[in-house]
Amino acid sequence: MTKAFSIFGSSSRPQLGPFEQQVLQELWSHGSATVRELLADGKIHQAYTTVMTTMDRLYKKGLLERVAEGRAFRYTPRHTPEELQRNTALESIRQLLGSGEASRLPLSYLVEALSTHDAQLLDELQLLVERKRREIQSRKIKAGDAVTREPRDRERR
Amino acid sequence: MFALRGIAVSLTFFVLLYCLLSGLVVISWRWLKWLRATKQSLAGLLFVLRVFPLVASVVITFAFVVPSFQLLEPRSIDEGMGAMPLALGLCALLLIAYGCFRVVAAQTTTTRVVARWLEGAHPLNVDARTVTFRSRREAPPLTLVGMRKPRVLVSESTIALLSHDELQIALKHELEHVRSRDNLKKLLFRFCPFPGMARLESAWSQAAELAADDAAVSNLDDAVDLAAALVKLSRLVPVEAAPVCTVGFVTGSISARVTRLLAWDEAAKAHSTKIRAWYAIPPALVALSCVFATYGPALALTHEMTEWLVR
Repeated sequence: MTKAFSIFGSSSRPQLGPFEQQVLQELWSHGSATVRELLADGKIHQAYTTVMTTMDRLYKKGLLERVAEGRAFRYTPRHTPEELQRNTALESIRQLLGSGEASRLPLSYLVEALSTHDAQLLDELQLLVERKRREIQSRKIKAGDAVTREPRDRERR
Repeated sequence: MFALRGIAVSLTFFVLLYCLLSGLVVISWRWLKWLRATKQSLAGLLFVLRVFPLVASVVITFAFVVPSFQLLEPRSIDEGMGAMPLALGLCALLLIAYGCFRVVAAQTTTTRVVARWLEGAHPLNVDARTVTFRSRREAPPLTLVGMRKPRVLVSESTIALLSHDELQIALKHELEHVRSRDNLKKLLFRFCPFPGMARLESAWSQAAELAADDAAVSNLDDAVDLAAALVKLSRLVPVEAAPVCTVGFVTGSISARVTRLLAWDEAAKAHSTKIRAWYAIPPALVALSCVFATYGPALALTHEMTEWLVR
């Protein structure tokens, strides 16, 4: 998610500071919350007014929705982390491709980056498969040992 | 004039109903992801949902609109027809023509590309239902082609790359696609175009892959072999995009499929609900009895609606 925020910062959309990111993360884990509820959780060590101002700023940036609840507001994230990441990525790609006449060059970088990423991902998956194979193999060997040991134990008895 | 009016009214009703139902499907299909059903059932449900607007519109048009017009519309009067039914009727004809064009285009492209892939290929294994071909190195790694006579194409690179067990399980996966007639389903999707359906089709494609994985795998060894085959074949870069009426082995989210296969658990699989086709029989019988019981009034109501449409 941190990656999404950093890309988010470079796009035309509003940039998020570290505290804004923390508040958004907390709201994602709560689903929805008032300022008091966030503070009561004990994970945010800031003054009430600071949190209130930050949430208001996030609301104005279009990242939160709010409904009045008594004298306060209840805030809900407008996007899920995945949606935000998706929007951020799309926005960045759009910016990259719309960067004038030389848009072919960034596109080639993108393809290169994707190919490298794909190869890395496949390497990781390959490792997972091999690890699982070794696990199965050792489980089979253990089971085989247990089977051969059992008659010997019986004979000894 | 009477017949022409009947056709225009029927087509208008068809296109309106088709668009309405398709719109509802586009909005509502995502709720299915909350269903804890087997991937096979999920793929089946997504397919039914995708073709539901077309099937329902055709059935309702032929079961209600055409008979109501034939029976209740007086032939003697020379009633005029507004521009709206004519325009919508034309839209319906265009929609049908566009669907037919997409089907023919998909079929033609597939035939052309498959013929090229089959150049220099020779049969590896002849089954009662399928023939497996060993294709050239440049052909896609592992692909199912054809509908009436399904053929599985295995490239030389695939044979060189996979172990015996991996190849067998990968072939089994492709044969599951033959059993579920996925190529035919893809062609059917081409016949019923509607904006916003691409995501549903993509979800169906992913569910169909997972369903074929589930059906092919019967123990953890198989699951790991299939995962290994997926990772190995993903490294073979496809020369060109596969045409519509083919099912490639390396399709959908590879990491999701591999992770799922490595966490393969028979017990967890048994816990998910399998929705069988016969579950649809009781509601269908109830719906049919309702139709029989209220057919007269339903025809009258349909006629009123068509009258309103014509004006």
